Amino acid sequence: MIIFDDVSVTYRGGVHALKNVSLTIDDGEFVVVVGLSGAGKSTLLRALNGLVPATSGSITVDGIEVVGASAKTMREVRSRIGMIFQTFNLVNRTSVMNNVLMGRLAKVPAWKSTLGLWSAEDREQAFMAMERVGIVEKAYVRASNLSGGQQQRVGIARALAQHPKMMLADEPVAALDPVTTHQVMGDLQRINRELGITTLINLHFLDLARHYGRRLIGLRGGELVFDGDISRVDDETFRDIYGRAITPDDLLSESTGA
Amino acid sequence: MSETALPAAARPRKPRPRLGSYVLVVGLACFTVFAARQIDFRWSSFVDMWTNPLWGRFWPVPWDWVLNRRNVFDALIETFQIAIISTIVGCSLALPIGFAMSKLTSPNAPTFWFTRIVMNIVRAIPDLLWGKLLVTAIGIGAFAGTWALTIFSLAVMVKLFSETVDAADPLPLEAARAAGGRHTPAVRTAVLPEVFPAYVAYALYVFELNIRASLVLGLVGAGGIGRIVETQRSTFNFDRLLGILIIMFVIVVIIEQFSVAIRKRLV
Repeated sequence: MIIFDDVSVTYRGGVHALKNVSLTIDDGEFVVVVGLSGAGKSTLLRALNGLVPATSGSITVDGIEVVGASAKTMREVRSRIGMIFQTFNLVNRTSVMNNVLMGRLAKVPAWKSTLGLWSAEDREQAFMAMERVGIVEKAYVRASNLSGGQQQRVGIARALAQHPKMMLADEPVAALDPVTTHQVMGDLQRINRELGITTLINLHFLDLARHYGRRLIGLRGGELVFDGDISRVDDETFRDIYGRAITPDDLLSESTGA
Repeated sequence: MSETALPAAARPRKPRPRLGSYVLVVGLACFTVFAARQIDFRWSSFVDMWTNPLWGRFWPVPWDWVLNRRNVFDALIETFQIAIISTIVGCSLALPIGFAMSKLTSPNAPTFWFTRIVMNIVRAIPDLLWGKLLVTAIGIGAFAGTWALTIFSLAVMVKLFSETVDAADPLPLEAARAAGGRHTPAVRTAVLPEVFPAYVAYALYVFELNIRASLVLGLVGAGGIGRIVETQRSTFNFDRLLGILIIMFVIVVIIEQFSVAIRKRLV
């Protein structure tokens, strides 16, 4: 379970990225976060695993306090949370296998992973993660030789290799075309259902949010302006969250003609 | 498509170079003239230099002496031994130190500043002076030369490598941290693969530098082919000297071809 209690994040330079956000996410939920760019979506996810430190308030992950946590506690929390990035964040010059093995970093002693001594068990876990997203045949291909959709699947496999309880996806399909967008969103939805992994996804296309989300969180100017079931969401809700009328650019199907 | 051009006023004008650029160029030119007068620079010296009878003594090269195994070859082998050991030791040490000296991969601010300051001091002392100091400290011979070139390799390598790490993609490192990785394994898995080809290319370049440096290190008694160069120079056997230089030239060209071939395979 994830609990945000009155969380604020102020960046150096004085930008208030999150303002007094409180929310609770239960195990196994599939939550979509929407808002304009700069609304604090990315900060919300990064505050949860400490990549961005919260300035005030309390964030707990399964009862462990993240705000002000020691480096050791932080690594423990992060090992339970897989993360997927808009830009994939793969190591381009190495194999898919080596990229997915990065998900095992928290599970093996530092000297072993530094020397690249991965056990047969770690490799097996990596293979299983690759099989789950259908890229196992690419295990020994260089990451840079894959298409965008395949690269994002490597990103998902890397997160799955952690055996995470939760998954954070920061605009996971923003760099993909419409067809691969639906494949990757489908993968994430299936993983949430089959493995019961709590999933938080930032999206900026409203039709995608409505199609895949079960619960919707809306952020505007760093504040939580909507939190509710997707069935309650209509165009009026989106107008509130965006602070303006919906344009074709906000819809995947309209803006790409797919 | 219509061919109608917009009125000229609607297009942006090419920005002019700033006044500061002109001042800088003129200033540099003035200073060059001033400095040349200070050191008694004379164009005629380019011609006069060649009238010295010294140059006639470089020819013909006594190839039977140069190619005699005991005269040059043994010292050349020593040069290779010095260069190989110092390149391997220096470059191996440079790997962790280079990571510690980059803003991206340094574990913390004190480590960053400490390595930066120490390496700047090491680099401020040129290889020839290191050779001189170490010959004084541990005695004349190849061992002192190996030490000197190890320190030199380390200094050059750390500088080049840490700047490459600075420019590496920070995003995979963020992913490694998000997975709960400790600092060292995160750097190893997320950054090293990206910078490793550059590391090998620099190591080959440093090896080349070390072969060259052994020519001058002999002047201060630090072993290698430079020892032969120094004896022949001080006894005015310039013809033998030219022979040695030709051999060194050939060796450096061969090494360069080798490293080009290896680098091509790496990228």
